[in-house]
Amino acid sequence: MFSTGSKYFFGITFLGTIAFAIYMLLISESAIGGTALFGLVGATALLTGLLLFTRDGSNGEEGVAASAAAPTKSIWPLIAAVGTTLLLVGAITSTVVTLLGVVLLLAALVEWSVLSWSERASSDSAYNASLRKRLLNPIEFPVLAAVGLGVVILSFSRITLAVNKSVGAIAFIVLGSLVLAAGVLFSVRPNLKRGLVSGICVLGVVGIVAAGIASAGVGIREELVLAKEEGHYMHQECGAEKSEHFDKLPLEGVSATASVDTYIELIDGKLVASVQGFAGSQQSITVPRSNPTNILFRNKTEGEYRLVANLGSKTVADGVKEEVVHCTQLIEQGFEQLLTLNIPKPAEAGKPFTLTVPGLAGQSIEVIVP
Amino acid sequence: MRRRVVGVVSGIASALFLSGCATNAPQDTWQPKGPNAEIIDNLQKPVFAVAGIIGVIVTVAVIIAVIRFRDKGQPIPHQSHGNPALEITLTIIPALILTVVGVFTFRTVFDLAKTSDTEMIINVTGQQWWWEYDYPVQNEFGITQPIITSGQLVIPAGTKVLLRQTSRDVIHSYWIPALNGKRDAVPGRVHLNRIEADKPGIYAGQCTEFCGLSHANMRMEAVALSKADFAKWVANQLKPYTSPAENTLAKEGETVFMNQCVRCHQVNGMKRADGTPVIAAPDENIVSGAAPNLSHLMSRNTFAGATFDLLNKSCREDVWTADSESFGAKYLSGVSEDCLNQKDLRGWLRNAPAMKPMYANPALLTSTGGKYRGMPNLGLTEADIEKLVAYLLTLK
Ligand code: HEC
Ligand SMILES: [Cu+2]
Repeated sequence: MFSTGSKYFFGITFLGTIAFAIYMLLISESAIGGTALFGLVGATALLTGLLLFTRDGSNGEEGVAASAAAPTKSIWPLIAAVGTTLLLVGAITSTVVTLLGVVLLLAALVEWSVLSWSERASSDSAYNASLRKRLLNPIEFPVLAAVGLGVVILSFSRITLAVNKSVGAIAFIVLGSLVLAAGVLFSVRPNLKRGLVSGICVLGVVGIVAAGIASAGVGIREELVLAKEEGHYMHQECGAEKSEHFDKLPLEGVSATASVDTYIELIDGKLVASVQGFAGSQQSITVPRSNPTNILFRNKTEGEYRLVANLGSKTVADGVKEEVVHCTQLIEQGFEQLLTLNIPKPAEAGKPFTLTVPGLAGQSIEVIVP
Repeated sequence: MRRRVVGVVSGIASALFLSGCATNAPQDTWQPKGPNAEIIDNLQKPVFAVAGIIGVIVTVAVIIAVIRFRDKGQPIPHQSHGNPALEITLTIIPALILTVVGVFTFRTVFDLAKTSDTEMIINVTGQQWWWEYDYPVQNEFGITQPIITSGQLVIPAGTKVLLRQTSRDVIHSYWIPALNGKRDAVPGRVHLNRIEADKPGIYAGQCTEFCGLSHANMRMEAVALSKADFAKWVANQLKPYTSPAENTLAKEGETVFMNQCVRCHQVNGMKRADGTPVIAAPDENIVSGAAPNLSHLMSRNTFAGATFDLLNKSCREDVWTADSESFGAKYLSGVSEDCLNQKDLRGWLRNAPAMKPMYANPALLTSTGGKYRGMPNLGLTEADIEKLVAYLLTLK
């Protein structure tokens, strides 16, 4: 009675109705989401009716070309079911689960449709299977490879975060050499047994993943935990001396070539500003309020210096004021670093904002915020 | 039937053609009023002519071919493969035309990008949905302290002004067609844009990069004043704040303003009763982090992204139609009580989002952490509005 096509649409209509109900009752009464789901239910219900009425548009004859063999066993219905479940569960728990459901459903949709289409392509089931492969292998292999690589990389990153820095380096070298050795082995011995090759690969991957899971259990190494707790990389230390954490590896900071509003140069101990659009150098710069302004500091003086922006003070709690100070790292002669200022309010009268260099008295550029 | 179609088509065509001749078209791209726009005009006119002639030739040729060679049952003509001489000629001619156009286009682009001859600099910052202008200190123009204003860009005529454009939120584009081409204002970047007006006058423009709900209401005007008038304008902008006299309606308005408006709007020099300066905190209340500075509101004659007039109809007419001699004095007289466009200003204070679409519904601000895009409806009483208007009129 129910034709194949109508069953399919009936299924979607049914699931859509459930989704609609769950959405409206449990998640949110949003007009947009409700309309979308209701539209889906309406459209598929209409298609169900149409297909029932026309019996999938068949004129009563059996397809001549279709294979007589029973359909292949397939895992995709199961995956589609899991995907649908995740979709619904995700709607209540978290978007990650929903996304996983969507991915599984999409995969099932593609694989299942191509599979059932290929099974009816001719009466030769071997040919049909090759057709399926020709269409899907170019997608399946890269996707599987990417997922596999992702798992390996993630596991390895857990390992390097957990172990001591130098141990991590050694692990990296050892692993790299092992991969290289396996590669060399496989290429000089092309006749190795398939089982042996896959055995080696699986063993390697399982080893890394297991080590990764173990490391994730152990957690990141102490030094990093401490850095995070104490905010080593967030907290700027703007004095003249080299600070232990903030001034680490200044040359690895990213500079900028475009989007620089103002260049502040320390030339032979003198601080000068050159502003895009202005001819010559300036002793003050004007910065519109609440607008990120990129300032590039260049040290052209022997020694290491940093640029410090003194931006007044702000109230952090009732009656408690804190100085607002931003700075670059200590920059060697001939190097530069970007400092982005976003100043929400003008300076108080008599307390101008300035750019200075610690350790160099008398050098200061005023920052005017109108 | 056929007659009617021809009639309708030619009617539409002539309407389109005649609309090109509108007299009140302040954003006409064919009427340059300054050297930069002229440079563009000198390029676009010949290119338009060449393109027009070629367009006519091609259209006529197509029509002739369609009519002469239509299927009348004649035998299929002799089929030949190409004609090298003709094809090469027909490739070389357009290539030559494009090369010539290209050379002049590049020259124009470089001319317009020149900044070495700048005489004056103004920072232009776009945000949803109005433009802010700030004038860095430039002693040669008497600007001894930064000036900040919005909506109307005031420049000295005959002066090469360089706009340093940026944006506080999304991409906008600054375009005063009579003075130059358009240039985008992009967050995090500073783009340079030259403008110069030959004569005193007022030149209209509009944001030309779609920027959200009220993009169509994000307008601007450039006001060019003679050098002497510009100096007067600067002097007026630098005039210190004077609080209204005690026991006046305006003084009460100042109190309402301090309670309701200073959380967004800065009025330079305003002090509380205890003498502490009033510093606005638009960064805590608005997504872009800025609201128009109202220090000298009544010295400009439009508001809310130059969408509404501060001048009533007849006073506005008087300024816009003034010749370049008398324009400066009329503009500098600002907005007096008699000239004030009471209806729109009161409407704005009563319910701003009703006049200009803005995301300013307090119930819908979760995605912005409680910050508005634009000015909200503050639910003021009519009595408060009365006081505020009296107060705003003192901000000259
Ligand atoms: C939550 C912030 C906020 C508050 C509070 C606020 N405004 Fe506004 N106001 C704005 C913003 C933003 C604009 C710019 C709107 C636009 O043009 O798109 C504006 C524009 C204006 C303008 C037009 C200015 C110009 O140059 O274009 C006037 C006048 C004005 N407000 C007056 C007031 C008054 C008077 C009050 C107090 C009763 C007030 N505002 C309270 C945010 C605020
Ligand atoms: Cu805009």
